[in-house]
Amino acid sequence: MNDNLLLQVRDLDIRFRIDRKSEPFQAVKGISFDIPTNSTVALVGESGSGKTVSAMAILGLLPENSIIPASSRILYGGRDLLKCPMSEMQSIRGKEISVIFQEPMTSLNPVFTVGEQIAEVLRLHMGMGIRQAFDRAKELLAEVGIPNPQLRVNSYPHEMSGGQQQRVMIAMAIACEPKLLIADEPTTALDVTIQKQILDLIANLQSKHHMSVLFITHDLGVVGEIADHVVVMQNGLIQEQGSVRQIFEAPQHPYTKALLACRPRLDRRPKRLPVIDDYLKGDGRPHHLEERHRGSAPGDQFILEVKGLNKTFFLKEGLFGKRAVPAVKDVSFKLPKGKTLGLVGESGSGKTTVGLTVMRLHDATSGEVLFEGRNLLSLTDKEMMAYRRRIQIIFQNPYASLNPRFTIGQILMEPMRIHSIGKDDRERTEMAFQLLAKVGLAEQSFYKYPHEFSGGQRQRIAIARCLTMKPDVLICDESVSALDVSVQAQVLNLLQDLQDEFGLSYIFISHDLAVVKYISDMVMVMNDGAIVEMADSDQIYLNPQQEYTRKLLSSIPRGLEKAEAA
Amino acid sequence: MIPTLAGVILLIFLLFNWVGGDPAHVLAGKISNPEQIKNIRKQLGVDEPYLVQLWVFVKQVFTFDFGRSWSTNEEVSRILLTRIGPTLTVMVPVLVIETVLAVIFAVMVAYVRGRPTDRGIMAICTVAMSISFLVYIIFFQWLFGFILGWFPVQGWSESFTKNLLTYAPLPIMLAVAVGLAPSLRLYRSFFLDEINQDYVRTARAKGVPEKVVMMKHVMRNALIPILTNVGILLPGVFVGSFLLEVFFSIPGLGREIITAVNRSDFPVIKAVTVYLAMLTMIINLLVDVMYKFVDPRVSFK
Amino acid sequence: MSAVLTHPVPPPRQESPGLWTLAWRRLKQDTVGMVSLGVVAFFLLMVAGVATGIVAGDWNKEKGVSYANPSFMAGAENLEAKALQQRDAAKAAPVDLSDIDPLAPRYKEWEERAAKISITETKRAETLPLGGDKWGRDVLKKAMKGSEISILVGLTAALFATVLGVMLGAAAGYWGGWVNDFLEWFYNIFTSIPYILLILAFAAVAAATGKFGKGILPIILILALTGWTGIYRLIRAEYIKHSNREYVKAAQAIGASNASRMFVHILPNVSHVALVQLSQHVVSFIKAEVILSFLGFGVPVDMVSWGTMLAEAQNELVIGKWWQLFAAGASMAILVTAFSLLTDSLRDALDPKIK
Repeated sequence: MNDNLLLQVRDLDIRFRIDRKSEPFQAVKGISFDIPTNSTVALVGESGSGKTVSAMAILGLLPENSIIPASSRILYGGRDLLKCPMSEMQSIRGKEISVIFQEPMTSLNPVFTVGEQIAEVLRLHMGMGIRQAFDRAKELLAEVGIPNPQLRVNSYPHEMSGGQQQRVMIAMAIACEPKLLIADEPTTALDVTIQKQILDLIANLQSKHHMSVLFITHDLGVVGEIADHVVVMQNGLIQEQGSVRQIFEAPQHPYTKALLACRPRLDRRPKRLPVIDDYLKGDGRPHHLEERHRGSAPGDQFILEVKGLNKTFFLKEGLFGKRAVPAVKDVSFKLPKGKTLGLVGESGSGKTTVGLTVMRLHDATSGEVLFEGRNLLSLTDKEMMAYRRRIQIIFQNPYASLNPRFTIGQILMEPMRIHSIGKDDRERTEMAFQLLAKVGLAEQSFYKYPHEFSGGQRQRIAIARCLTMKPDVLICDESVSALDVSVQAQVLNLLQDLQDEFGLSYIFISHDLAVVKYISDMVMVMNDGAIVEMADSDQIYLNPQQEYTRKLLSSIPRGLEKAEAA
Repeated sequence: MIPTLAGVILLIFLLFNWVGGDPAHVLAGKISNPEQIKNIRKQLGVDEPYLVQLWVFVKQVFTFDFGRSWSTNEEVSRILLTRIGPTLTVMVPVLVIETVLAVIFAVMVAYVRGRPTDRGIMAICTVAMSISFLVYIIFFQWLFGFILGWFPVQGWSESFTKNLLTYAPLPIMLAVAVGLAPSLRLYRSFFLDEINQDYVRTARAKGVPEKVVMMKHVMRNALIPILTNVGILLPGVFVGSFLLEVFFSIPGLGREIITAVNRSDFPVIKAVTVYLAMLTMIINLLVDVMYKFVDPRVSFK
Repeated sequence: MSAVLTHPVPPPRQESPGLWTLAWRRLKQDTVGMVSLGVVAFFLLMVAGVATGIVAGDWNKEKGVSYANPSFMAGAENLEAKALQQRDAAKAAPVDLSDIDPLAPRYKEWEERAAKISITETKRAETLPLGGDKWGRDVLKKAMKGSEISILVGLTAALFATVLGVMLGAAAGYWGGWVNDFLEWFYNIFTSIPYILLILAFAAVAAATGKFGKGILPIILILALTGWTGIYRLIRAEYIKHSNREYVKAAQAIGASNASRMFVHILPNVSHVALVQLSQHVVSFIKAEVILSFLGFGVPVDMVSWGTMLAEAQNELVIGKWWQLFAAGASMAILVTAFSLLTDSLRDALDPKIK
């Protein structure tokens, strides 16, 4: 075996038994890749690619219904990990190979202190006594950047923030100086500024301890920043692998090219985002790459004007007390007709609350929302009904925004019936079919249930539902955040087409700065409930005025800057 | 707690004084002495407006004076105090033994989840739970008491140790045998819920052996719902198993209640209900306090 | 992500089955579930037959000798029956008092006249299929009749309790605010009183005053009015969960009314929980009814229930007559086991989880 190689995966094939009758589902179809010593390997793919399953197989952390044939091998330290007995695996886990997971809150045991959990690993593998293990735990907490380790060692997980919890997980993982750290989407659940910190931490630890890192992610930007080698997976197969330079500068496989291209970039704004199909079908090249100009113009008419919007939540405290939590503080903005206003911020910034309050899904504490001159917040419920159809919203979670018990047909017909659109059900059904075609879905979808559709398709259905009412304003609340990069591109293109055709005005809420820059004319940055900065999108990215905006922008993974679209 | 207590008092009052109404004609069939009936009616103030009756009842609750039983003429408060002893002698061991055994078996069964042992035991539990408690009592009382003579068929004595060692064991064993199945199923589901949590995956990823995962990580978390469940069962300990007490002639609170219901002895029933409700609320409060020590996510108000 | 990786989903089929169709398909694959369903269906058919009198209509007739042996124990001794027969035989031979009896000459005339009127006195059977009780009633038929009462009570009470629990739970979960506070207070009252005690309190009032109705109505009402709390808790939690889901917010955004959101949107997503609760409560109410009837607070004395059979069985066991205990105990055990297994299978079919 090559001295430079720490771990070798050969012909890995993983299937899952679903029930007694069906064929087992094949998640990984025979892949091979290497992890060299002292380097970072990124395992990249969208959901369902098999990347997580492959990594979990290394430590035998697969569920009980998994089947791996004898022909698959994972070679490490002169043995095949897939054939090791459990006791041997247990001595490797946590000591020579460690894992950190995506959701740190649930991955830590809630009833033991952070110190106890780190000490456990030290006592188990390094044979330390309690005193010694706790002291070492404090040192580790300091190393991963937790302030006040003396105090924090006795904290419980729920007393810490998401970023700190992830640092604790990292401390547990590196406690025994492992040779390989497997990181399964460790930053996906964290805010963008925290993400940068964690990535830096992992990179530092990697070089300091000379350990290898297997980094699983769907985000190519992150890959560009930290990886030495890249393995690209799709549908259980490796489509391409190579050094990070190779992959970013000279991708060979159409899928890799597509993945790199369909992510919105910060320096260019093509008329349409390239999608996977552009690369895998047709002539393998995307079209419509001419640039689109965005920004406000002096002649803009404003369809929506928000003045001094405030929303404070009151939480019960004690027997009779109430605690005021201001979520939106004095927010004012104008939305021009036919254009997109981007609303950017991290979690807790209040951006979603703004959207919900404008729609009167929350009751505002004070302020005005002027739509064609009328203040929506002062209307009675009955008066509001007339305006309901004119402002609509698309939510973030495609799996929760459609009623699982309704057919698509029922979902589309309901708003039409409520607002008396169309003469009768026959006409409404016709309109529903047309809308389904417009959002790129088959007519047959009318009779199906939501669970039969993918995330991206469900968002299209949600868009179609809004379109049934022919709205003027559409609020997109993190509408593409839960989607894979390629699907995200498709939905963004759809939204753009609809805006071009119907002159819709959008309020686009997201934490993803690149996406917001791509689709918005103006951008509003929010932090802690208040507007930090508002300007044309190009301006904000070129010339950020505020400290917070600069901090946000610098946290964007720059990996893509190295890439050149095909 | 106070609003709930007020509500309980109101409910019992509505039930017995309003729906129940004038006990005269009910008692006429059961008590032959018309003087006595007249006294009771006067005591309750049956002819008075409802608000006065309610006030009488509230006073009774807080002075612990419910007057006398309609059937035996014994003081209700004395009845309650003397009957609680035998009930506890039987029920406390039942709760302790049943909980300990249920936890032990649940851990074992959860450890081998899915395999034939697990499924077999669950099947036995299901069948065991569908046979009426009555059948168990009738059959085993006959078998162990009558036929085999290992235990006395019925009876109770004045001495605590004699009770505990001679008269109580058969009822205790019966109650544990019957109560074990549902508790086992429940605790097993608690353990299985915990096994599927992310932190268990982390523990395995750290190289912790499976047995330690179960006994340390999972057990500690499962204790929380188990504690809740024991808290829910505690008030039942005071009510007692009236079936056991009736069958085995144990002079406990449960049997007293049954007798009272048979004889439409309202004061006894009202008193027992209100006091046990208060006891339940106090127990709930104590369990809430204990949570603080068991679940670090809970903070004091 | 969970400790077991999320189950990869196989590609969807061509037709569009809704929740109930999918659940039915899953149930069909569950052998235990289907067998339980069959047993329960059999019992329900039998109940229908008993209720209309087709089956076991003559359960009350004293067909057999006292404590008749079951057919499979035909040869065993039946001391009690013999004793009664001897007593009857002793009565049959009167003392001859014709010399002092003034009516003596007329006896012969009367006997001849009596002989002309035919009274069909069927000879009492020596054995019955599952034995006889003290009065010679057919135990098998009693068990069947008893099942009618128990199942009827269980089903009706469970239905009432479920409707009550769902309506209150929906109101509390959806509206929140003071509606929730009031209903929670109400719930706390009912749950502070230990369950059996609550039932007995209601039973005491019902027995004493008859204000709850007659026949099996009192016990149905008692069980329903005390048993809604568990369902309320679950449904309320479900409504709270769903009210915050985006599809309900979306419904609000398109202008759907509150009633529409509560019953057209959320209820179908919650009905499977209600169904499983209903099934569980049928089981626990049947068990409760048996115990209450045993104690005398359940069905009236002229009806037979498994509980009353067990009450008789208690004394019979001492003299060695075990068949009533067996018949009542076994039939109840079979039904309750089948129903419990059916409930489990229903839950798995409606809400499949990775085991």
